Amino acid sequence: MKIVACIKYSLDVSEVKVDPVSKDLKMAGVPYRVGNIDKNVLETAVKLQETFGGTVHAISVGPAKAKESFREAMAMGLEDVTLIEDPTEGQVAPDITALILAEAIKKMGDVDVVVCGEVSDDGFTYQVPPRLAEALGIPLVSFVRKVTIEDGRIVADRDLEDSVQTVSAPVPALISVMEEINTPRRPTLLEAMKAKKKPVHLWNIESDLGLNSDDLMQKAALEKVKSEGVVIHRKQQVLKGDDLAVMSDELVDILFADKVLKGGV
Amino acid sequence: MSGILVYSEKQNIAHELLGRARQVADKQNKTVSVAILGESVTGDMASLGAWGADSVYVVNSPLLVGLGPETFTDALTGVIEQAEPDLIVIGATKPGLEISAHVAGRLDLGCASFCVDFDFEDDAVIAKCMIYSGMGMNTYKIKTKPAMLTVAPAVFNALEVGNKAAEVITINPPIKEPAMVVVEYKDKATAGVRWEDAPMIVDVGQGMNDKSDLEIAEELAALFDGQVACTRPVSSERDWFPEWLGLSGKKIHADLCVTLGVSGSIQHVVGIRDARTIVAVNNDENAGIFSQADYGVVADLHEFVPKFTAVLKARSAELA
Repeated sequence: MKIVACIKYSLDVSEVKVDPVSKDLKMAGVPYRVGNIDKNVLETAVKLQETFGGTVHAISVGPAKAKESFREAMAMGLEDVTLIEDPTEGQVAPDITALILAEAIKKMGDVDVVVCGEVSDDGFTYQVPPRLAEALGIPLVSFVRKVTIEDGRIVADRDLEDSVQTVSAPVPALISVMEEINTPRRPTLLEAMKAKKKPVHLWNIESDLGLNSDDLMQKAALEKVKSEGVVIHRKQQVLKGDDLAVMSDELVDILFADKVLKGGV
Repeated sequence: MSGILVYSEKQNIAHELLGRARQVADKQNKTVSVAILGESVTGDMASLGAWGADSVYVVNSPLLVGLGPETFTDALTGVIEQAEPDLIVIGATKPGLEISAHVAGRLDLGCASFCVDFDFEDDAVIAKCMIYSGMGMNTYKIKTKPAMLTVAPAVFNALEVGNKAAEVITINPPIKEPAMVVVEYKDKATAGVRWEDAPMIVDVGQGMNDKSDLEIAEELAALFDGQVACTRPVSSERDWFPEWLGLSGKKIHADLCVTLGVSGSIQHVVGIRDARTIVAVNNDENAGIFSQADYGVVADLHEFVPKFTAVLKARSAELA
């Protein structure tokens, strides 16, 4: 069985800060790394491989410098990583990402299961898995919290807002996983050492995938007109003390005075 | 048709989207339609005119069950091909996010996710959207026709606009047997009231020790006709609630939110930051939540909350 894990070299959004006056997003120095959800993606793919045999390959669309960031992923049990060099500069739009991933997966050939995160840490659009499934013409089993393979079919629990569904779909299929699906393994030092020998293949979208960069840029459907940070002013008034009854009274006094609450006494 | 097509599998969200779509359409001299997809759609569809729809596209099919993404994508694609809208607005629930992206992929449409507002400018759709876990907002021009965007629940208000009946158009687009089949379907026990609409929320985090401690949260919430809600791990790991507040969950609009034992990651705070006032209780004075709150109390929530509730009761406190 050939399993492909789609992972993303993501912006660590917890490091993004906003200038409270200009509302500018301070992006300088915000680090990139393989996303948190991607560790769940890798764990899912490796566990399927351990149970049902075959090989696991990871694939990513990102800048060439991402090449150095896959060591831990590799140590989790991958054969290799294929990094497709980002044709746009910076964050790739979900429609373009899906298109590139689809071409790469077709080129890899005979893929049985594709695993994605339900949503990336930084882009947060939920668009790539459905768009990728459409481009590949295979079913998508989304929001997966549990997965196995029975008689050549994916059997999974999907977590929707108001229901949990157990579903079944024929392979080849794409699954998108939630972070609750598993706890990613932490590779041992030995695994990390061995992983150093595993290859990161660098693919070019033109020479390796036969796509045209200019066409892709043209296709980008969203044009950014404006960008600003969200600034919400909070009073940040903190009460400390030993007597909780006194603090309770004090807090209620403040809430009355600031007209958050009203009351008789 | 030159207009806006709205879809959500949830009726109240469809009404909210219609509310904003109607306002935008009136300025632009466009029409508003809504898609209703299901196994056996019944009821007075023409009455959706009262919520701002000029027309209602109904698709009935035995294959439209369990919110199956494949069949609902076929049905919504069929409606779009018939209605030929300029803009498709979809509720950003999990099924909505999924179906919208399938349709966008199939029809090659640009789709802006988690919009907080939209309009037309020189006949192009302009959408303001949340980015970077809600740290920022990007405004995009969507270059495809039609354009598509998704909107979270309770971003817009449902508006009753009169009693004009909408035109009901029933269509039968091709819907294929899906490859993915549902073997078992279990409804979750839902919170009952939408957290998005609650006037007051008590937001429980991992600092709460035991499920039985929820009682003190319930008592506090009950004083203000509020609801008790929680962070993602309290739902997904401890399974105390079927849903959670945050970027990947519900977003509240309460007058007052009291967080109990919540640490305050941005992914969670984005779910509560539209509350007018935030009170945070946490025993760790370095918890990030204190910088996101109006009033902080450094105390053990299990000891503080019963005392706080008693004082609120004694002083007959209500929301101002």
